[in-house]
Amino acid sequence: MSQNLLSQEALAAVRSIKEAEIVIGIPSFQNVRTVEHVVRAAHAGLAKHFAHYSSVIINSDGGSSDGTREAVLSAQVDETRLLLLSHPLFPINRLSLPYHGIPGKGSAFRLIFEMARQLGAKACVVVDADLRSITPDWIDLLIRPVLYAGYDFVAPYYHRHKWDGTITNSIVYPLTRALYGLRVRQPIGGDFGLSGRLVERYLQKNDWESDVARYGIDIWMTTVAIAEGFRVCQSFLGAKLHDAKDPAADLSAMLEQVVGSVFLLMERYETVWRKDAGSKDIDLFGFRFDVGLDPIEVNVDRMLKLFRGACCELGEIWGKALQPSTMGEVSQLGACTGNEVFRFEDQLWVRVIYDFASSYHRRTLERGLLLRSLTPLYLARVASFVMETRNMYSAEVEDRLEHVCLCYEQWKPYLEANWRGDPLPDASVTRRQVEESVPAGEAASLIGGDEND
Amino acid sequence: MIEILKQIIHGALENLSEQSMKYLPPLLAAVAILLIAWLAAHLARWACAKFFRGIELDRWLRRSGVSEMIDPAGRLQAAHAVPKVLYWAILVAGILTAVNAFNTQLTSRMVEALVFFFPKLISAGAILLAGGWLSRYLSSRVLVWAVNEEIPWPRRLAGLVRVLVMFVTVVATADYLNFARGVFLSAFILVVGGAALGAALALGLGCREQVRRFLEQRSSQETAAGRSLWDHL
Repeated sequence: MSQNLLSQEALAAVRSIKEAEIVIGIPSFQNVRTVEHVVRAAHAGLAKHFAHYSSVIINSDGGSSDGTREAVLSAQVDETRLLLLSHPLFPINRLSLPYHGIPGKGSAFRLIFEMARQLGAKACVVVDADLRSITPDWIDLLIRPVLYAGYDFVAPYYHRHKWDGTITNSIVYPLTRALYGLRVRQPIGGDFGLSGRLVERYLQKNDWESDVARYGIDIWMTTVAIAEGFRVCQSFLGAKLHDAKDPAADLSAMLEQVVGSVFLLMERYETVWRKDAGSKDIDLFGFRFDVGLDPIEVNVDRMLKLFRGACCELGEIWGKALQPSTMGEVSQLGACTGNEVFRFEDQLWVRVIYDFASSYHRRTLERGLLLRSLTPLYLARVASFVMETRNMYSAEVEDRLEHVCLCYEQWKPYLEANWRGDPLPDASVTRRQVEESVPAGEAASLIGGDEND
Repeated sequence: MIEILKQIIHGALENLSEQSMKYLPPLLAAVAILLIAWLAAHLARWACAKFFRGIELDRWLRRSGVSEMIDPAGRLQAAHAVPKVLYWAILVAGILTAVNAFNTQLTSRMVEALVFFFPKLISAGAILLAGGWLSRYLSSRVLVWAVNEEIPWPRRLAGLVRVLVMFVTVVATADYLNFARGVFLSAFILVVGGAALGAALALGLGCREQVRRFLEQRSSQETAAGRSLWDHL
């Protein structure tokens, strides 16, 4: 079966290269503007930090028509400017191959992983093709924990604007942390370091033809690594800057894909996440530093207007997904007319996510419809978060997010009962317990300052 | 005179006796068949209900999403509904068999018509059910999409979609049953064609400025503040 995944071109490349201890995979589609920089950074990183290892850079392309593959193959690195202490013992091979299968990042990764297995790679790194902030040191930070410290999965840790990555901050990170007990800060970062052992495990899975592998490949990789007991750590990479997203990109589709994948994996690993309570830190490698970030503007008024409209129009649909007490509080929120006093509190948000997860599991609504109807609630939550953190520095916002994460953990028994369809614990009791153990807002002092810190 | 009266009465009684001898056996047979059918229907309903409760059919249908497809309100319970349908199916079969016991041309024609029409009726019911489900599904999808995209009057749009799909379903069902084919088809062509023509005229003549302003507004929202909704995610 593995031989069928590789085209004649790929098989010929494997026979020619024979073996590579390190594989760097770059999935791409129409990335001619940025892929050259990524390839050069990868090449420089290998030359600088892993000169004694045999390596190959593999671009897995989805049929780009803008010259992406040509840009990959023609990218030049002047090694004399790198001031290398030692020259590479092995040539750094470079391949650009089209992948086959369902269009999407998952199929691109499958080709890269299959090539890595055929070449006997000890470590594999995957990075996005649209990165503008990647440096050669990223390669070192993602590979070194695998080769020298025995880790199987290295997640990225970025320095991001306080309002950047709101899907991660509001849903994916705190939910993954509460479910599986490990504090992986960027579970869908997109740039990962993997051991040969973990790559082998990924290839054994049957998910490659499913939606999870198509849209949710990042969270799938992270969840499989955590849930199946592989050694997980993270590396600080600095700022993550990538090509501007298409303004017409569909937020609802993104939520459906990412959050849907998280919920689907909850069904898969139900026996794992129902075991543990609480969470623990994982090792963080690299040297943390602050960087200047581009300011972000958020149109809070428009988000709240959409939410209020949705409260009138989608009440019937939300009523099927949410528990009556949650729905009651959401309706009260919708009736609140003043933007300045609008607050989507953490405990309510956690209950919304847990109710949606349980509805997804019990199929009270068609799944696509359920996930898309989450969009207005999500925008309301983001608007509330933005207004609350307008005058906070990044460190204060991290404290604030820590509170959100602890709420997710404290409300986990509610999720378990809801998931099984059992009677729910008394919400007022749980709320009181959470408030007593996790004081809201006291950790973050509001100091006036530049929001673009 | 008395002799004539006696003859008439004797003739009437003989007629009655003849008719009774002719129709009484089939009548008794029909009653017996109905009784057996009634007993069989009760037994089948009891056994079916017990079986479905044992295998937790309702729970499985809820989990698989089939329940939500057929009855989103959640009132219908398959473990009650299916045995009821089986009960009535056996009873109706018993009634048809009982009617057929008289073996007359009229009763034979009735039974024949019902037997041949029944599968078509079932298929028509399935088409209506499928159309109903599709109309609800598409209507909900359109509603959520319109709300997320800030399209004006989302509920009316969703309602319109629902009505349209149901209308097409009814036309298809009528066509299948060969029932007032011409009427429904003509109505469909008139409504859809008329609506399309009316919308084109209204847009072209009356709403040019509004459409232009709406498109300009959307475009400026997306390039300025609108972009921020997506970029930071």
